[in-house]
Amino acid sequence: MTSKPNTPADPIADFMQGLAARGHAPSLARTTGTVRFEVVDGKRTRRWVVTSEQGEITVSRTGARADVVVRVPRPLCEQLVQGKANPTAAFLRGALVIEGNLALLVLIQRLFPAPAAARTTGRATAKRP
Amino acid sequence: MSEVKILDGNTFVVSDDRGDIEASPTDATGLFSFDTRFLSRWVLSLNGERLGALSVDDLQYFETRFFLVPGTGTVYIDAKLSVIRRRTVGGGFQEELTILNHDDEAIALTVRIDAACDFADLFEVKDALKKKGRYSTRAGRRQLVLGYERETFRRETVVTASEAARFDQKGLTFTVKIAPHGSWTTDLDVAVGGGGFEAIRASRGKRKQTMARSLQKWLDEAPRLECDRQPLKATYRRSLVDLAALRFAPPVAGGLSLPAAGLPWFMTMFGRDSIFTSLQALPFAPELAAATLRALGQWQGSRVDDFRDEDPGRILHEMRYGEMTAFEERPHSPYYGCADATPLYVVLLDEYERWTGDRKLVRGLEYEARAALDWIDDYADLQGNGYVWYRRRNEKTGLENQCWKDSWDSISYRDGTLPGFPRATCELQGYAYDAKVRAARLARVVWKDPVLADRLDQEAAELKRRFNRDFWVERGGYFALALDTDGRQVDALASNNGHLLWSGIVDKSKAKSVVRHLLGPRLFSGWGVRTLAEGEGRYNPIGYHVGTVWPFDNSFIAWGLRRYGFKQEAAQVAAGILDAAEFFEGRLPEAFGGYERSVTKYPVQYPTACSPQAWSTGTPLLLLRTMLGLEPRGDDLIVDPALPSGIGHVELLDIPGRWGRRDAFGRGRLDVTARS
Repeated sequence: MTSKPNTPADPIADFMQGLAARGHAPSLARTTGTVRFEVVDGKRTRRWVVTSEQGEITVSRTGARADVVVRVPRPLCEQLVQGKANPTAAFLRGALVIEGNLALLVLIQRLFPAPAAARTTGRATAKRP
Repeated sequence: MSEVKILDGNTFVVSDDRGDIEASPTDATGLFSFDTRFLSRWVLSLNGERLGALSVDDLQYFETRFFLVPGTGTVYIDAKLSVIRRRTVGGGFQEELTILNHDDEAIALTVRIDAACDFADLFEVKDALKKKGRYSTRAGRRQLVLGYERETFRRETVVTASEAARFDQKGLTFTVKIAPHGSWTTDLDVAVGGGGFEAIRASRGKRKQTMARSLQKWLDEAPRLECDRQPLKATYRRSLVDLAALRFAPPVAGGLSLPAAGLPWFMTMFGRDSIFTSLQALPFAPELAAATLRALGQWQGSRVDDFRDEDPGRILHEMRYGEMTAFEERPHSPYYGCADATPLYVVLLDEYERWTGDRKLVRGLEYEARAALDWIDDYADLQGNGYVWYRRRNEKTGLENQCWKDSWDSISYRDGTLPGFPRATCELQGYAYDAKVRAARLARVVWKDPVLADRLDQEAAELKRRFNRDFWVERGGYFALALDTDGRQVDALASNNGHLLWSGIVDKSKAKSVVRHLLGPRLFSGWGVRTLAEGEGRYNPIGYHVGTVWPFDNSFIAWGLRRYGFKQEAAQVAAGILDAAEFFEGRLPEAFGGYERSVTKYPVQYPTACSPQAWSTGTPLLLLRTMLGLEPRGDDLIVDPALPSGIGHVELLDIPGRWGRRDAFGRGRLDVTARS
């Protein structure tokens, strides 16, 4: 699949690099565990291993042990990391396959971006006088 | 035909009293699991003839036995044979089918079971929608496989039998010979599955031995109630058994079970219902609160998503697992459109710690609690004036009213007109106030953050001051139901005033006037407090949120009355609701009519699909707590009974908490009949 205009050449790599660069994720401060994403692209499978150690996020391309493994086709994975698809709905559709600790995946999902068009409300947009 | 329901978690069967299932697209019978129907037809016949029901025996909530005879006539004929179907739910269902020959001669029978499935989503059953995928049926030598497929979404039902059968596209047939006074038995298994479905159903349905054991263990671990009034004992036991049936282990609560909202259609995580029920059950089964806090915390909103009405820090409203959710035709993956669950989450966290002393969990959920508090300030204040407001962003399939009174006409002015959106209902401000006060305590005692504690205390005091000014209806002497976008009071008198007492936001000087209304003739029916007062424009004694009496609502009102020292009035509300429970064999409905007690003599049930309903089930538990005046103080349990005189002597033994186990005793001394 060729990527559309206005999307980065490799949104998955961009997203993962962003995670690694960010380092600390306060929302995962109590979470320790490893998720392995197996991104299926034709006959090739590319791995991304995301680890949270009390919120310290590291990303690597290798790693044998994981608490949960997510097998996801590349086009869907690209949508997920750009906020264009919802991971829970995709899981319920059977569009991605999960093995292992589902609870950990629900937590790691906090790192995924919001839909681009979403409207923020309340003080998050306009500060209270 | 009466409906028989059995269940295990959110797998359940609804059939007629013969055990047969003949669902139509809109008829809600069948085998359901995770919001999908896995069997819409399951009909037994002998020699081409349907059977008639003799009796149904509900052995356990997960197990039923149907006694049947040939023929469907109304007059019982001395049958030469009888049939027993013993059905157990667990990973689908198992059915032990036994045919007894009472005759002196052998008989030859054709035993036929028709089986089919439409794989409807629960939402489709409610709204009669068309399917978008493809069906398949595979009849093999040993099994019948019914399947449904839409893109990567697959669901299948596999029917097998222990005895030799012929499987065809529409069911299975046994050719049977039974000796004189002999019997024949086969075990039928209906298994549910499909691609990815196993992962959703993370823990496979338990078999009946473990379910029976866990029910017994559950009953054994709950406090024991001894009392003079036998119906109260029966109500208490009914509540415990129903609460056991309502426990639901979602894939992400570490194997813990939290209360689902109602049986069978609402066997899923609901923020509001799970929290209220956990609060009611805290003195009896604190593990429900722990599971609720953990699961709702894990699914806490983390981004802004209009379709799901999700914000960072927001606690979910409802989670669903079916096809329409999977394809984003419904927003329940999960849906976040409710304004009360988030502050109530913090309230539950504090109340849980006060009872159990489990600081480990409170420390572990510090991030979630702070995010919930931030949601109140940053995302719920839609008007920028320091109140909690709601307005859906998903205008197609989102919820309009995001408070517990969620029907379209529940929030009105006295003249019956409806305000626009956003709306700030009064009880939401009470919950937000209570959340801040309680979080301040947790910040001081557990999170060791005195700066946060001081800020929250200050904000709470400020909110209380403003609230008592802006919501107080001066000429009526009560709090308005809501504020509209112009800051005008939505001035109908409603039961929400009782929740305000519970939250503590009411100025002491105003409490007496509020209580006079709650127990006055316009709100109090004699059974309980009506959702909306008689005389208001939209008042209707059988209107869902505009005049009926909700047991759950009343249990929190009673708690509020006790909080402000109105013991007599709390006992009066408790007595009315517990009297009503006796008319429903201990199982309180979601709501009953707001008719005057002296007129109808019995509570008129409001027709609803779900029974038992979790927060109605929890109601007698919270009423016991309020009547006995149970309150944790430090490491002690305070007992300060104020019981209605009709109730006699009451003992609640082995109440669990940070004190270990304690007993509470009380005797009914308050005359509650003369007042109203």
